[in-house]
Amino acid sequence: MTGFREEVCALLCEDAVRSEIAQTRRLPYGQESGLLDVHRRLGKLGWLAINWPERYGGSGATIVEKAIVTEEMIRHGVPENVHSLGVDIVGNAINLMGTDEQKERYLPGLARGETTANVLFSEPDVGSDLGSLAARAEPDGDGYRLTGRKIYNMKAQHSDFALCAARTSTGPVNYAGITLFLVPLHSLGTVIEPVWNLSEERFDLITLDGIRIGREDVLGEVDDGWQVLNRVLPFERTGLDHSAKAERTLAALREHAPPGCGDRLARLETRVRAARLLAWRCIANLHEGRPDEIHSATAKWYTSETAKEVSVAAVELLGPRALLDARDPDAIADGLFDAAFREAPGLTLAQGSSEIMLYFVATSKLGLPS
Amino acid sequence: MTATIAEFFEGDLAPLVRRMADRPRGEGGDTDDDRRETRAMVWEGLVGLGALDGDDATGLAELLGSVLYQGPLLDTLTARALFPDAGLGQAPVALAAGEPTEADGTVSARCDFVGFADEVEHFAVVGGERSALVRAGHPSITTRRHEETGRGELHRVDFAGTPVTAWAGRPDWEGARVRQAAYLVGLAQAALDHAVDYATTRRQFGRAIGANQALSFRLAEMSMRVDAARLLVHDPGTPAHAAATLGEVADLARTVTTATMQIHGAAGMRSDDDAQLYYRRAAAESVRLPQPRG
Repeated sequence: MTGFREEVCALLCEDAVRSEIAQTRRLPYGQESGLLDVHRRLGKLGWLAINWPERYGGSGATIVEKAIVTEEMIRHGVPENVHSLGVDIVGNAINLMGTDEQKERYLPGLARGETTANVLFSEPDVGSDLGSLAARAEPDGDGYRLTGRKIYNMKAQHSDFALCAARTSTGPVNYAGITLFLVPLHSLGTVIEPVWNLSEERFDLITLDGIRIGREDVLGEVDDGWQVLNRVLPFERTGLDHSAKAERTLAALREHAPPGCGDRLARLETRVRAARLLAWRCIANLHEGRPDEIHSATAKWYTSETAKEVSVAAVELLGPRALLDARDPDAIADGLFDAAFREAPGLTLAQGSSEIMLYFVATSKLGLPS
Repeated sequence: MTATIAEFFEGDLAPLVRRMADRPRGEGGDTDDDRRETRAMVWEGLVGLGALDGDDATGLAELLGSVLYQGPLLDTLTARALFPDAGLGQAPVALAAGEPTEADGTVSARCDFVGFADEVEHFAVVGGERSALVRAGHPSITTRRHEETGRGELHRVDFAGTPVTAWAGRPDWEGARVRQAAYLVGLAQAALDHAVDYATTRRQFGRAIGANQALSFRLAEMSMRVDAARLLVHDPGTPAHAAATLGEVADLARTVTTATMQIHGAAGMRSDDDAQLYYRRAAAESVRLPQPRG
C-alpha cells in the first residue's frame, strides 16, 4: 500500500502539476479553476475514481486506494471541490445506486476527469432540514417537470449535470416523497446566477423553471431519495478531506510559526493525528462493508472542527502575515493560511453541520431524549 | 462626545460605514472611489464631533468597533499622544511599524499592514528606539495595498531616506492596546447581535433555530464573555495589563465571529451578509497591533 501512495505522491510532486496548482491559486478574483490537467492525468491512469469498475473508468480497486488518492490530492494542494463533488459524491451515488444505463452514461467521463457534476440540495429556506425542501417534480407524460430554486451549491459553471433533490409526493413524513434526479445544468429553463461569498469559490443560485426530465433520470426509486442519501452519506462523511486539510495547514503553520508556539503546536498536532485516525476508521468500516453512522458523525464533527481550529489558530500565531492572500507578492505559504481561514466556516457546515452531528451522537450514541 | 458620535452612526449611515473599506473581489458593486468618498465624509464627521479631543477614547474605540469603522482614527489618536507638539491639527496619521534606521535626519524602513496609507497626511514610523514623524506624499515613500483576508486598506509602505519632521520616544502601546481591545469588544458585540437576530428569525425543523439550547446557550455564554470583556477594557487598572487584555479580547472576537458564521450557515458566507464581514474584520483587527509573546 505504501508503494501506491508513493506513486501518487510522485505524480503530484511533478513540476508541471505543482505549477498548475500554483496557478490556480493566483487566478484573478472572481475566477476559479474547474477540472485540471492533473485530474485528467489521474483519470487516464484510472486513479481518479480508482475504486470504480474498470468498465466505468476506474481500476476496480478498493475504497482504501481511493482514500489514499483523495488524501494525497488534498495534501498536495489540488483544488478538491470539483473532484469531490463530481466523483466522491455524485459519481459515487451513481456507482452505488444507479442503473447500468446511468453508469454507462455518466461515470466514464467523471472517472477520466473530463466531466464533473454538482449537488442541488439546499434551497433559500432549506439547509439542514432537507425534509422540508420545496423544489417539486410534477409528473409529465413518461417523465417529470422540475421546478424550484437551489442555492449554496458550487461549481455549476464547470459542471455538466447535477444531482438534484425534489419532492415528488407529500405525506405525513417529511423525508418520504423526496426523489433524486440527475439533471442537465445547461439547458433552457435553467438559470444560473453567481452568489459571491467569503471563499474562493462562488455559490450559485439555480432556478429550475419546469425543465423536462425523464423517468430514466431518477437515481434510485421514486419517493425514496432519502434511502439513496443514507446509503451514500457514509462515503461522504469519512472526514478524510477535512483531516487532510488540517494536516496541510498545520504543516505550513509549523514551518512559519515564531518561537514560543511549541505547546500550542503540539496540541494541534495531537488533534490532527486523532482526526486522521477517526477518518481512517471510517474508511476501514467502508472497506469491510460495515459503515457505522456514529463513527461517521464523530469523524465529520471532529475533523472539520479540527481543521477550522488549525486555520483560526494560524491567524493568531502568525499574525497579519497569515492574512496575505496568494495574489500578494509578500504572501507566505502561497497564501495557504488566508485561503484556509476563508474556507474554514464552510467545513463545519457542508456535508451535515456540526450541530446535526452533535444531535445524532447525543441521541443515537448516548441515547439522550430527542 | 461618544453619545453624539453614536447618533451620527445611526440610521442609513451604518451599513455604508460597515463596508466603507471593504473591496469586493470580482463581484461588482461600489468602486474604490465611492468608498473613499464615504471614508472622507466619515472622517470629517468624526473630527467635527470632537473625536480627536481624546476624552473617553476607550468608549469611542468600542463604538467604532460596533459599527465596524475602518479608518485612521485610532492610529491618529496614538500618534497625537506621541507627537503632542508637532502641530498635527486635524490631520489623519497612520502608524507604520517596522525596524526603522535613521541617517542624517531621515528614516528608512519597510512597514507592512499600514492602514489607509494613501489617505493620511503623516506617518508615525515606529518600532525603533525613537519614533519618527514624516509627511506622506514624499517621493521617498512607496506604498502598495496588500491583498489580504480583510480586503481592507492595509498597505506595505517603504520609506527610503524620508525626511523626518519630528522625533519622539516609543509610542504608548498600552493605551493603543486598550483602545484596540475596546474596538474588538464593540465588534464582538455587533457580531453577537447579528447572530442573535438570525437565530431568532431563521426557522429549521419547524422552529426558530435559537430555540435549540445548544445554540441559545452558546449565544448566552458569548454574551457573558463580551460583558466581562467590556468591564475589563474600561477598568482603570487595565493599562497595566494591556497586552494580556488585548490577547484575551482578540481571542474572544475570533471566537464570537466564528460562531456567528456557524449560526448563519451558508447564508453567513455570502458577500452581502455581514457575518462574513465580522469574521474577516475580527481576524485582521485581532492581530493588527504588535503583540508581545512570552
